[in-house]
Amino acid sequence: MQPTEENMQPFQQREWTSRSLGTRLGHNIFYGLIRFGGRRTAYFALYFVVFYYMLFRPAIRRRTKYYLHRRFQDRKLLARFKDSYRMSLELGKILIDRAIVGILGSEKMKVTLVGRKKLLKLLDRRCGFVLLMSHVGSWQVALSALSFMDVPVNLLLESEQGNIDRHYFEYTGTGSPYRIINPGGYLGGALEMLEVLKKGEVLCVMGDRVSGSQKSFLKVEFLGEEAPFPFSAFKLASAAGVPIVVLFSYKNGPDSYALRISNIIHLPKDLGRSGKYFLPYVSKYIEALESFVQLHPYQFFNFYNMWEKKNEYKRET
Amino acid sequence: MNTNAKLKDIIIEELNLEELTPEEIDDDAPLFGEGLGLDSLDAVELVVQVQKHFGVEIKNMEEGRFAFRSINSLGDFIEERIAA
Repeated sequence: MQPTEENMQPFQQREWTSRSLGTRLGHNIFYGLIRFGGRRTAYFALYFVVFYYMLFRPAIRRRTKYYLHRRFQDRKLLARFKDSYRMSLELGKILIDRAIVGILGSEKMKVTLVGRKKLLKLLDRRCGFVLLMSHVGSWQVALSALSFMDVPVNLLLESEQGNIDRHYFEYTGTGSPYRIINPGGYLGGALEMLEVLKKGEVLCVMGDRVSGSQKSFLKVEFLGEEAPFPFSAFKLASAAGVPIVVLFSYKNGPDSYALRISNIIHLPKDLGRSGKYFLPYVSKYIEALESFVQLHPYQFFNFYNMWEKKNEYKRET
Repeated sequence: MNTNAKLKDIIIEELNLEELTPEEIDDDAPLFGEGLGLDSLDAVELVVQVQKHFGVEIKNMEEGRFAFRSINSLGDFIEERIAA
């Protein structure tokens, strides 16, 4: 994987959306199935629903192909259909699991954390850190399992208008156990994020999608082709003098998940503004992400063309 | 060198705005968005640079919102903190 220093071109607009594909009625039916039939009943219905979507909503299949074509090259048509079905099914199961945690309680899902000692050691230092996550497995189940951390946890989370999917903490109506920082707020929430890190708190951010109109991304090779990745988490960590903990979650059984701390990235303090200073550190994260998708190919949920060239402005800055 | 002039030099040098001269930066123009066109990570870098060069910490979003309105606001904020 060869990262490049081509960077600093602002993104025109984001390609991805976090909006649900289903209808409100469809969601409510699944919530009912979970309440009255449990996980197995909801999963059973899911197989048919996903198959329907695969057959009659080709746009959904298209949205899986950008990643799948790069992850599985030289696949025949039927194999591609199966890959798309399996990836969509995995996402469906994860959404059901998220609802189960919210409706029936987190004890319904077994979660093991690989690297717990490392995390506790960092927490003991009271220095704060960035928890860098990705759109893999279920980050929401991951967060629900990290409640043992006795420091305030802050979550950079954009609530997309019109999205009817609920976060796991919204089912009970008790509110978020985490402080939500809105990336649509003043200066993208950057000063709030810096503040919480300086106070020794935990900041959770996603590292695999560029959002908004920003010049804060680097192009790094991912699955054989350059894709833009944000470096804002790395910039914040360097400015606050805190490490970055790279955490992946994945479903490893019908009712179980694993969380794995893949690496802890320490950055020099105050590296500067230019993206090139952050390239080695972003590359470490992308290497870990690439290893993850080799092991768990159907649990990577970026349903958009993250390699798309047309997103870029022509001018250099 | 007064605070505003020093701030302009810092912005040009540390935020990679070499195409600008200090004279071209209006003391009252907004730093972010339409003004100088700085972004959120420029704000983070500015927090770092203000602390490094003036020993003044911008502790939270409220302070940042006030100080980052323009060069004049930031200069006033720094001078007030130094004088305090």
